Amino acid sequence: MSEAAHGKSPYRAYWISWAILLTITVGMLLAERLHLPRLVLVLFLLSFMMVKAVMIGANFMHLRYEKRNLGFMVAAGILVTSLILYVFVSQESAHVLSRTVR
Amino acid sequence: MHGSDAAVLESHWGGGAAPFGASWQKTMMWIFIVTDALLFSGLLCGYAFLRKASTVPWPRQAEVFSIPFIALMTFILITSSVFMAIAVTAAKLGDRKKALLNLVLTIVGGAAFLGCQAIEWTHFIHDGARLTHNPWGAPQFSQAFFILTGFHGSHVLSGLVILIVTAIRTAMGKTPPQGVEMAGLYWHFVDLVWVFIFTLFYLL
Repeated sequence: MSEAAHGKSPYRAYWISWAILLTITVGMLLAERLHLPRLVLVLFLLSFMMVKAVMIGANFMHLRYEKRNLGFMVAAGILVTSLILYVFVSQESAHVLSRTVR
Repeated sequence: MHGSDAAVLESHWGGGAAPFGASWQKTMMWIFIVTDALLFSGLLCGYAFLRKASTVPWPRQAEVFSIPFIALMTFILITSSVFMAIAVTAAKLGDRKKALLNLVLTIVGGAAFLGCQAIEWTHFIHDGARLTHNPWGAPQFSQAFFILTGFHGSHVLSGLVILIVTAIRTAMGKTPPQGVEMAGLYWHFVDLVWVFIFTLFYLL
């Protein structure tokens, strides 16, 4: 049943998402200043970056209300291609760096 | 295969008029968003390449940029996304006045973001950064900055044009709710891309 049908404002969910997104952003900014070990910081920031992306896609772009295969097409298309690209780019950059240093 | 089996397969995977349970306009918009996301994915992977292959130490972003100012830009963009989402829902509910008001607020947010970006670029260039030169070390740093934020800024600008046209047409009663929804999807995508640029370029 929709929120409107429950007597709640249909816009309430957007403001809740907004508050969570801003809280996460502030958390990310604070983490950057805490001098955490590099690996911990990277994992923390990347995890919350993905949480923010999923929240925007699900709540603002309404993917949570669409058919599941639309969300799957979008997420899989972008994530799989990006990962393949990154894996190859990463290897190649290490190769270029080792040749430059040598 | 029996005829009934084939009918079941066709009904599930045959596509038909709405393979994703969405209108063709929305399906096309999503396909566009995926392809545009891959453009930014390529740019961000290129940035990763430049950074990892750099023999010169990468500058500390907090020493080059005002991170609180970048956080303000993020706040503006996320807030404008909320106004956009409200405009989409209001248009669907037939509340044209609310949809128009929130479209205008989204436009104001987008214009403020672009203004902030102009200030940031001006400072960066004034400090001596160029596409081929960077006073803080690796020249690839300023190249990555100009290309990533430049491409994103051009998307914000085109999003603003789309929103202004949508707002004018909404005021005239010519935009159906779906038109506002399409503009909204594009605007949220611009916000989504910023989430990645903000984290990967400014924070990491």
